[in-house]
Amino acid sequence: MILEVNKLRKEVSSGDNKLVILDDVSFNLLEGQSLAITGPSGSGKSTLLGLLAGLDTATSGEIYLNGEALHELDEEQRALLRKEKVGFVFQSFELLPSLTALENVMLPSELKDEDEPEERAKYFLDRVGLKEREHHYPNQLSGGEQQRVAIARAFACSAKILFADEPTGNLDPKNGKMVSDLLFEVNSETDNALVVVTHDHDLADRCDKKINLKLGKIVE
Amino acid sequence: MMLFNLSLKIFLRELRSGYLTSILVSLVLAITIVSGISLFTDRLEKALSAETEEFLGGNLKFESNQNTAKSKIQRQNFQDIDFMEMVLFASVIFSEEDMQLSSVKAVDNAYPLIGELELQNKSGKFLSKESPELGTVWMDARLQNLLNLSYGDKIFLGDSEFIFAATILYEPDRASGNFAFAPKTIMNFEDVDSTNIIQPGSRVEYNYLFKGPEDEIANVRNYLETIKENGDDIEVLNEDSSSLGRTIDRSENFFLLGGLIAVLLSACTIGIASQRFTRRHVSYVAMLKTLGMKTRQIRSMYFLLFVFMTLLTLFFGLILGWTLQSQFINLMSSYFPTELPPPGYYPILITCMTVLICQFGFIYPHITKLITISPMRVLKDDVSFDYGFIPIFLMGLAAFFLLLYLYTNQLTLSLIIFFGVIGFSAIGIGSIYLLLGKNKTGLGASGPILLALSELRRRKFGNSFQIFAFTIAIGLTLITFSASQNLLGSWQTSIPEDSPNNFAINITPQDKENMQSFLQENDIKSKPFFPVTNAIIFKKNELSEDDKIDRNFNITWIEELPEQNDILKGEWFDKSLNNGISVSEDISERYNLEIGDDVFIKVGEEIIKSYVQSTRTVNWDSFSPNFFIIGHPSLFQDISSTYITSFYIPSDKQYLAADLMREFRTVSVFSIEELIEQIKEIIEQVTQALNSILLLTSLSALFLAFSALQDGFSVRKHQSAVLRTLGASNTLIKQSTLFEFTLLGFISGTLGALVAYAGIYFIETRVFETSASFYPEISIMGPLLGIIVVSSLCYYLISGITKQSPKKLLMQ
Repeated sequence: MILEVNKLRKEVSSGDNKLVILDDVSFNLLEGQSLAITGPSGSGKSTLLGLLAGLDTATSGEIYLNGEALHELDEEQRALLRKEKVGFVFQSFELLPSLTALENVMLPSELKDEDEPEERAKYFLDRVGLKEREHHYPNQLSGGEQQRVAIARAFACSAKILFADEPTGNLDPKNGKMVSDLLFEVNSETDNALVVVTHDHDLADRCDKKINLKLGKIVE
Repeated sequence: MMLFNLSLKIFLRELRSGYLTSILVSLVLAITIVSGISLFTDRLEKALSAETEEFLGGNLKFESNQNTAKSKIQRQNFQDIDFMEMVLFASVIFSEEDMQLSSVKAVDNAYPLIGELELQNKSGKFLSKESPELGTVWMDARLQNLLNLSYGDKIFLGDSEFIFAATILYEPDRASGNFAFAPKTIMNFEDVDSTNIIQPGSRVEYNYLFKGPEDEIANVRNYLETIKENGDDIEVLNEDSSSLGRTIDRSENFFLLGGLIAVLLSACTIGIASQRFTRRHVSYVAMLKTLGMKTRQIRSMYFLLFVFMTLLTLFFGLILGWTLQSQFINLMSSYFPTELPPPGYYPILITCMTVLICQFGFIYPHITKLITISPMRVLKDDVSFDYGFIPIFLMGLAAFFLLLYLYTNQLTLSLIIFFGVIGFSAIGIGSIYLLLGKNKTGLGASGPILLALSELRRRKFGNSFQIFAFTIAIGLTLITFSASQNLLGSWQTSIPEDSPNNFAINITPQDKENMQSFLQENDIKSKPFFPVTNAIIFKKNELSEDDKIDRNFNITWIEELPEQNDILKGEWFDKSLNNGISVSEDISERYNLEIGDDVFIKVGEEIIKSYVQSTRTVNWDSFSPNFFIIGHPSLFQDISSTYITSFYIPSDKQYLAADLMREFRTVSVFSIEELIEQIKEIIEQVTQALNSILLLTSLSALFLAFSALQDGFSVRKHQSAVLRTLGASNTLIKQSTLFEFTLLGFISGTLGALVAYAGIYFIETRVFETSASFYPEISIMGPLLGIIVVSSLCYYLISGITKQSPKKLLMQ
């Protein structure tokens, strides 16, 4: 089991009121499986993704990521877990503007202090079809190209699980299709698990499992 | 109205959100400092002017050795001019028991023209605006004691007898002529004839004092220039060259310097904050344009926002500025016994000018660029915003220079500081480029040091400007610190504890040796005894009006160069027989006296031919006898003279001054103890006031450093969030950032120290006109200050970032 979630609850305070974002969320995911999290805006999809990836902490409940109790780890330990086991693709790409495409892809390997990060990054950039653009900065790339760089970065970190938050949300249908094809194609070459938050039904339908959130609860 | 409301709404929203804090605080700081200092110096100048006016006794004084001027002046019938005559001479006054040489001032019925006398008689102290009644005299306390007089006692002056009516505690015209050295007597002018003291050939000085409107005084001065003869002198206000005047002048320089530094620091902060303001408003302006607002309307809206900002900052800044100047005045209240005059318009003018220059130089160019943003920005975030860096930078530099000129009022000094700062910054930026070398591929995120170095290389451009800001902040803080520690320190120690506090003149050759023994027996250290005589100097070419020297000098002749005198041109006297005279720098400049020029020295009826052998600087604050002209002894072998010296009498031996005068009747001893104390007190008070300025300047510097860092950290916030999402630990982020900024602080501190050295050199040599010194502590303090301040601020900012979850940061 790569991911196990039990009775997850997330509350936030808004003045004197407490707002429940997620309530009683439980599910699990096996290695190599893909999961789509869907639901209307404000249903808690991105919050759930943040908790699963260890970017935020839950109010209660348990998350086991690759067998480690994520809910018991502090920020530094969660960062270490992210570095070793987790890859990300964001809706707004989150590339560092001061780094070239190649350098952005090199980042995870550099953080792990791996050998030859440049070779590895070049391989993945080639894999997403951007070999010719490796020395371009993000502002010199189109939205679709930036997202492909983000995908290359996510795979370059040899993660066990990949989290993608609306990976096609900022792209036109043509580029969206290209990115989702690429995501599944490259993922199929590894035994990574894939968790995708999406509004895109086609993308969700390609996943092995789906959960639908409504007002913070799994409804299906 | 819609624009007004919208603008007000934006202003209030920005105010509440805290985004305007940097600009507002910097502007308030600048206004506080400028208004505080200018209000204080303006009131101080007014008080000093009034003081000088009283010291002179009028707006203009004409000194003459002849009484022929009066009838000429009266014939001119000057309008709106008050005029008075006084005659000054030295004479021995007898009481029933004793006798004493006195400096006598005979005044007409218009006396005193300005101010009041403070007198004391049997009934106590009282103020007087009249001259002494006929047949009476007033005397100062020293003379009263020396003659052992009680009120109503008789005294004898020449062929007349007078009643001693009052003691002079304070007289307005203390600068009266060459006879002011001896204990003072004031008598009525109409009594002079009956004394039969003034005979043809008597040494007498006639003073004519004038009071009136400025333009009329100018007319009087022009007329007096036409009737002025050899030996006559015209004195006007604002030419105060006394020790006290120079002390106040220097303290004003200190204040203005402190003010300028703080304003420049605030201006840099305002520039950085404006850039941030603009970036935040890009989408807002694009949105307003999309909704149909015209560029002109948007410009007006932001202009109104400026007006609100100006009014708010002026309101608080002026209140704080007034409080600041009140504090300064309280500090110096003991020097000004009465209330200082109210300020004029100048402080408000200079404050408003500062605000306008800051706004137009450091805020407005950013807003102008902001208005050019395309409405397409609403649709596409990546629509480029041409920030137009060069025009903004040039506008900032122009404003920087204008501020420099506004405060220094000296083009050369402004240019020197301006190009000095730019030069050092260019060196700094250049050295950063050289030091950091080329970018390597990758961020080097495997370790904190590699990451820090890579960040330094990668952000060369941004780092260069942060270094520029830090360098200015640290450099200027070091200059201010040094001003308060070293410059003021050397100024304070320039008056040592045992500075001579008494001058003795009129020492006859017969008394010289006895007096030296008297001083030695009583353990009193004296300066050398200088022979002195009154002489008129002529230049060879008397036909040229420009070269004419028409004044009396007290000249001396010695073989050794007096202490605290330095030869500027030519040579000091040697053993050869062909020695000439040495003239002071100012006399050489004023009368165009060059090395080798022939001069004729007229002493009595004798004329000595000589030449200018050297020019020299004179330290007029040395409290030693100083001379404009010194001749070689060989020239004055047959000239009769008296001697002058100065010495220090400790406070517990003050009685020795009276003993000395009793034993040497012709010698006049006058104390300058009060003056020295007054100067020391002022220096101390100025130091305290300057420390407040230093505090405000350091605050401005800290604010600038913080703003520069904060600006850079908005980019780091995103990077840190991405890195942490990818698994970078907080420790890695903190350590690398700290290392990077420690290095940045070290570079800025080192460059700041260089800026400070250059600044201090120019301040010492140009502003305070002293010799330059080297302060080794600055080379340690600069880098240390850079490291501590920059890394502490960085730690504070990065801690704030790492405390937040990366998800939250990415959502921002």
